[in-house]
Amino acid sequence: MIELIHVSKQYGNKPAVKDLHLTIPKGELFAFLGPNGAGKTTTIKMMCGLLFPTFGAIRIAGFDLETHGEDARRRISYVPDTPFLYEKLTGREVLQFIADMYHMPKEHSARRIQQMIDLFTLQPFVDDLTQNYSHGMRQRTVFAAALLHEPEVLIVDEPTVGLDPRSIRLLKDVLRAETKRGATVFLSTHSLDIAQELSDRIGVIHQGRLIGCGTLDELRHSAELHGTLEEVFLKMTEEEQKPAPAATPEGAFAPA
Amino acid sequence: MSSPALLFQNLRWRLFRNALSVLLSQSWWRVATIAYSCALIWAFLFAVSWYGFHQLKTQPTWRIPLNGTLIEYLFDAFFFTLTILLIFSTGIILYSSLFASSETGFLLSTPIPDDQVFSYKFQGAVAFSSWAFVLLGSPLLLAYGLEVEGIAPWYYYAVVPLFFLGFLLIPGSIGALACLFIVNLLPRLRKQLLIGLIALVILGGIVWMVVWIRQARELGFGSRTWFESLLSEVGFLGGRLVPFHWVSRGIKYAAMRRPDLMAYNLGLVWSYGLFAYLVTVWLARKFYRRGYNRMASGGALRQRFGGHWLDRLLTWPLFFLDEQMRMLIVKDFRAFRRDPAQWAQILIFLGIGTFYFLLMRRFYEQDIGRSFKIGISILTLIATSFLMCAYTGRFIFPMLSLEGTKFWILGLLPLDRSRLMMGKFIFSVLGCLLAGEFLIVFSNLMLGMAWLVVVAHMLAVGLLAVGFSGLSVGLGAVLPNFRETDPSKIAVGFGGTVNLIAGLMLLGVVIITVAGPIQLLHARTPETAIPIAEIPWFVWVSLPIGILAGGLATWYPMRIGLRNLRAMEF
Repeated sequence: MIELIHVSKQYGNKPAVKDLHLTIPKGELFAFLGPNGAGKTTTIKMMCGLLFPTFGAIRIAGFDLETHGEDARRRISYVPDTPFLYEKLTGREVLQFIADMYHMPKEHSARRIQQMIDLFTLQPFVDDLTQNYSHGMRQRTVFAAALLHEPEVLIVDEPTVGLDPRSIRLLKDVLRAETKRGATVFLSTHSLDIAQELSDRIGVIHQGRLIGCGTLDELRHSAELHGTLEEVFLKMTEEEQKPAPAATPEGAFAPA
Repeated sequence: MSSPALLFQNLRWRLFRNALSVLLSQSWWRVATIAYSCALIWAFLFAVSWYGFHQLKTQPTWRIPLNGTLIEYLFDAFFFTLTILLIFSTGIILYSSLFASSETGFLLSTPIPDDQVFSYKFQGAVAFSSWAFVLLGSPLLLAYGLEVEGIAPWYYYAVVPLFFLGFLLIPGSIGALACLFIVNLLPRLRKQLLIGLIALVILGGIVWMVVWIRQARELGFGSRTWFESLLSEVGFLGGRLVPFHWVSRGIKYAAMRRPDLMAYNLGLVWSYGLFAYLVTVWLARKFYRRGYNRMASGGALRQRFGGHWLDRLLTWPLFFLDEQMRMLIVKDFRAFRRDPAQWAQILIFLGIGTFYFLLMRRFYEQDIGRSFKIGISILTLIATSFLMCAYTGRFIFPMLSLEGTKFWILGLLPLDRSRLMMGKFIFSVLGCLLAGEFLIVFSNLMLGMAWLVVVAHMLAVGLLAVGFSGLSVGLGAVLPNFRETDPSKIAVGFGGTVNLIAGLMLLGVVIITVAGPIQLLHARTPETAIPIAEIPWFVWVSLPIGILAGGLATWYPMRIGLRNLRAMEF
């Protein structure tokens, strides 16, 4: 469903993502981990068509994002870390706008809007202007809008920041339900326990390079450590961060 | 809903309806004040235009027929100026709304075609950049219709908005094309290119002005021949292929009851306007997303910003302030100079100022009458004051609002909140005083005005610099808009409008009470030097009124602003 084919991205001369090659099949929940500045958000922005890869290509449901962007984006829903909401629209109007944008038939859109309102418990505030929403209310509305048109691919960047435990629980259930429905979920997060609990596979990106990808057991095996995801993650990123051995004046490398 | 255009139209309508309903439910008097202020400005411009056209028609020295070629030239010059200003303002607004707004980030991640996102933002930018010109142009054209020989027919009034709407598409499209071109082809040099373009326009204007004034000197300044020559100078603008000339001619033909020629020109304006718009949107379909990508990734991953010689230069005149205050002022200045949309407008302000004061220098070389010089001197004071008022309203008033959601950082700092306001106040006063006093002394000396007039003008500029700053900083704290991130939108909002009206009132009071009496006295006495002993009583009475007004305009808004700021919760 999602194919990143030897994708690299440079900002000026500085590489942000290096030769990222990854395929995520339909119905999988893929967790994307990495320290700050590792290239997670750049990768996500490329997957949504906001940025173009400097090298390589990205395909969503077989559609190349550069050449068939509209077809690809029609299948995506993207929930960024700081989502945008029209401040002067009510939650219901936001949902209606999204339904119209995806050409949903009137009756179907009305039914789906009501389903989303019920699922995310938006009823108490859905007819208020979003400018008066709290962070949690905003996040629930954004998720309702993202899932309204039943996307084939859901890309989520740091969804749990600032949410209360009940909302986090709801979010986890929703993401699981989405994969059961057949949607592919690409979840970028710093929350390792959520990644461990929900994901089918985990990718670890560090300094723009994918340094590990697989199930938790595969990552443990690759890191040669039988611990929690946190321990595995720290070991993998630490190893990558170790400074290169100092060069001797002759140009040979001194032993570490 | 199938069409994205309809989708956006519906969105715009809902946003407008909800915003209006919130505004009316919270404070209907805000809407009433804005409407009243607009009506006041419109009425003033209409009166001035009507009087101007009447004078052109009836003054024995002029007697210019209002349906003749000269008026066509006048309209050509007006619409040419409008074209240049609209190109710049649409380009600047589009630049920030297409590439730096979170809304476009959201829309570009949806399946809405790029050209539709572009046209949605384009329509918003053109509407936003042109509403002031509607306010400026409509009284002028209405006055023309009423003054033209035989009074314009009914369809003249119906067709003028159509000409204006069609015409807006042309400069708007050029501005949008320039914006796309800069972002796509020169992402790393866009700042330099923008400066270069503005400098080129200013330089071109200066060269034209020099040539024009040299000719004016030969023909006799103020004569009909001079006026005709002046208008023929802009004759090159009236070429058959120049769009604003079609607007000028179309409006003139409508007033002259020639519906056939009017319709022909209206057709030309709309067909070329729509063609320009279509070409722009077609190019946007190909290049908008590409430009967005280049903007986001054209530079370094993390661009390094550091100290700049301009920051160090600013700290010199602030030597008398403590370190904390200096840092606050430099912080505001840094935020300003790193925003191209902000300083590009300052360059336009400077360009307008340069035009005007170059003209002053040339007047000095002219053998013009003393009364004319006195009139020009007071006009210069008014122009300088207007520039200061516009500068503080546009750039200083939004400063406190721009702290926005980051206000809590400043709010939690171990410093008294009055220092936040004082920092902005000093920043504003310094800028106004340096520029204003230099301009006023320079122009008065060039015109050879008496020292008493120079002193009075300096005092007036000083009072206004302090007064405008007090008003803008104080009212900025009383009526902040923390939700808006675009300073130009903050400046034209309710708080900005109140600030503008208060500023214009102060301008009137200070000029009438401080500079007016001295100017009158100077006009009455034949000599240039007036001994202090001979200064009449009315000068001594009106002067303190002006000083008091300036002081009040500074103290009171700052006081209530500070009270409001201290009570604010972050």
